[in-house]
Amino acid sequence: MPFSSLLHGLRRLGRWTLGPGQNEPLLLSARDDVEGRHYAVGYRLDGSQVFMTPVPQRCHAIVTHPVEPLAVFVARRPGTQSYLIDLRSGRLVQTLDSPRYRHFYGHGVFHGTGEWFYATENDTSDPGRGLLSCYRFDGSQLVREGELSTHGLGPHEVVWMPDGETFVIANGGIRTEAESRVEMNLDAMEPSLVLMHRNGELISKEILDLQMNSIRHLAIAEDGTVLACQQYMGGSLDPAALLGIKRPGQAFEAFPVAEAQRQAMAQYTASVAVHSTLRLVALTAPRGNRFFIWDLDSGGLRLDAPLPDCAGVGAVEDGFVVTSGQGRCRHYDCRQEKIAMRPLELPAGLWDNHLLLHA
Amino acid sequence: MFRPRFLLTGLALVLGACSPQDPQAQTSAALAEQVLLPAYSRWADADRALSSSAIAFCSGQEDLEKARAAFFTAQKAWAELQPLLIGPLAENNTAWQVQFYPDKKNLVARQVEQLLKTNSQIDKSTLDKASVVVQGLTAYEYILFDSNIELANAEQKARYCPLLMAIGEHQQTLAQTILAKWKETDGMLAQLSKFPNQRYADAQEAIADLLRVQVTALDSLKKKLGVPLGRQSKGIPQPFQAEAWRSESSLLSIAASLAGAQALWNGVEGRGLRTLLPSEQKPLAERIDSAYADSKARLDELQQQSLQYWLAEPTGIAKLNAFYDSLNTVHRLHESELAKALGIQLGFNANDGD
Repeated sequence: MPFSSLLHGLRRLGRWTLGPGQNEPLLLSARDDVEGRHYAVGYRLDGSQVFMTPVPQRCHAIVTHPVEPLAVFVARRPGTQSYLIDLRSGRLVQTLDSPRYRHFYGHGVFHGTGEWFYATENDTSDPGRGLLSCYRFDGSQLVREGELSTHGLGPHEVVWMPDGETFVIANGGIRTEAESRVEMNLDAMEPSLVLMHRNGELISKEILDLQMNSIRHLAIAEDGTVLACQQYMGGSLDPAALLGIKRPGQAFEAFPVAEAQRQAMAQYTASVAVHSTLRLVALTAPRGNRFFIWDLDSGGLRLDAPLPDCAGVGAVEDGFVVTSGQGRCRHYDCRQEKIAMRPLELPAGLWDNHLLLHA
Repeated sequence: MFRPRFLLTGLALVLGACSPQDPQAQTSAALAEQVLLPAYSRWADADRALSSSAIAFCSGQEDLEKARAAFFTAQKAWAELQPLLIGPLAENNTAWQVQFYPDKKNLVARQVEQLLKTNSQIDKSTLDKASVVVQGLTAYEYILFDSNIELANAEQKARYCPLLMAIGEHQQTLAQTILAKWKETDGMLAQLSKFPNQRYADAQEAIADLLRVQVTALDSLKKKLGVPLGRQSKGIPQPFQAEAWRSESSLLSIAASLAGAQALWNGVEGRGLRTLLPSEQKPLAERIDSAYADSKARLDELQQQSLQYWLAEPTGIAKLNAFYDSLNTVHRLHESELAKALGIQLGFNANDGD
């Protein structure tokens, strides 16, 4: 057998690629190794590694610059370092150190012009007071220039409305102190979904029924529909709605999740993603070891699948890609009525709760 | 420069991952067929017997002692299943229907009484719609063992019997439904035996899932012992927070769960998780063997009396604490060293997410 045929066979058999698959989107995520060391990683979906940069602190979400081949890997709470990384090589361009009495909450956004970066932060001199730090991009570095209030406690994810000028902020409602992940106010949580203008002006502030239902992660459809997923801090039998939706011009309300799926989440969700073209919403529930997909408009269930310690989820052209803290990453082709799952040739396990697919 | 040898090795690896020679696939399949499926079958058998026993007891054809014996068998079968809680029974909180534990607020007693107050004619269909609190073995145990219920009194027996029979029937149906999901085409047995499938991308994922449920159950065993021992309440014993305290079968349940966990480790004819350890890990395998042996020896001695008996006096508490420490050793060896030796990451985000 000629070498090239053997190579081709191998490639097809195991979906191994010996060269970088430039046409595949770049999967960006925080990941650990078995020794507990932290990395900022970039992989093509065919399994080829673009970079794996060691970083001192564990990161959470990734925010790409809209113009430059750069991304911020944001520290997971209560981390005090975020990392600006060159996506071509993985080179660490800059370490953002939190000032005194501040730490990151794992999420942020770049403004569409690329001139400003915003990150959710904790004011530990008044534990839990939510802030959005404002960093100006000077062409090579990020320079901290100011702060805005998030109008709530313990902010977590922040995203843009489609106008690119309105923040959507998930205020988790939980007070935590510096260097701690221990909740101080479970009896007096104040979770809220805030819409806020880029100048800091509050547009709206909404809550769900249960006060212990911490709003944490967000996804936005192209039409401005906001999806929010929650982590419930109360009893395991309480009927907490863990997926919320705010359709354009409407109030924030529970997404119509059936009881079987709601219970299967074990009161905890990790990541939510929207597919604007296929009109789908996907959700990972690592404590329940389940991955779900629903029709965004009808609320009909499309997939309820086992996936151990499922973590990050992101939309690709034909469906979704999901990572796992324990097992293999998966691709779900959602174009047909029957959703087809295919394991990806990426390293298994130890992926953090969020991923970003960078085209 | 080509490296044909490397390529052939690579090819062998790729092919090996799909072939029956893959030790992980072999072990998963063997455990599914020889350990898990038989345990689920025993559970279904025990629940069938439980349902028949409830009917016989309520129609006066069986005495209370026999009815209680059927409960012990069902409770033991369920306890043995807990380290094997993978697949259909582990999903959608179905397991809550089997047993309501922990019951910190005595919800079982309150909700059973409330249900009987509002429904004079309880049958399976009423129970199917009721709370999980009253559907399972804990409610069944309450009826047969609670000191406030006098089943020798015909009026009281008539009051509780419809619920007892309904629980028996509910459990029987539930167990049969779950067992069917194990046996059906592409069901759980198949998913643990042939890879890849819609649940597992490869055999390593199946082994990881088996280890995960085993470790979770070992951790739960520590809680089941630690809570009544007062390890979470400043050393003040909490005997009514024990599993199956009314029937004084807490230690029986712990023994059955520990045996279930050990069955995953040993397998039948040596085809368990132990066989996946490479030869250089023999010392670890021996440490796990002796940790199980130590735990079991301590438990054998404790089982001569009930948990409540030991909790009542200081020597007993010391013995229980020593047993707890031995369980902790078994748990830690699995959670850290065995997981690492098998290359398995347990609950990276599930336990420590954000």
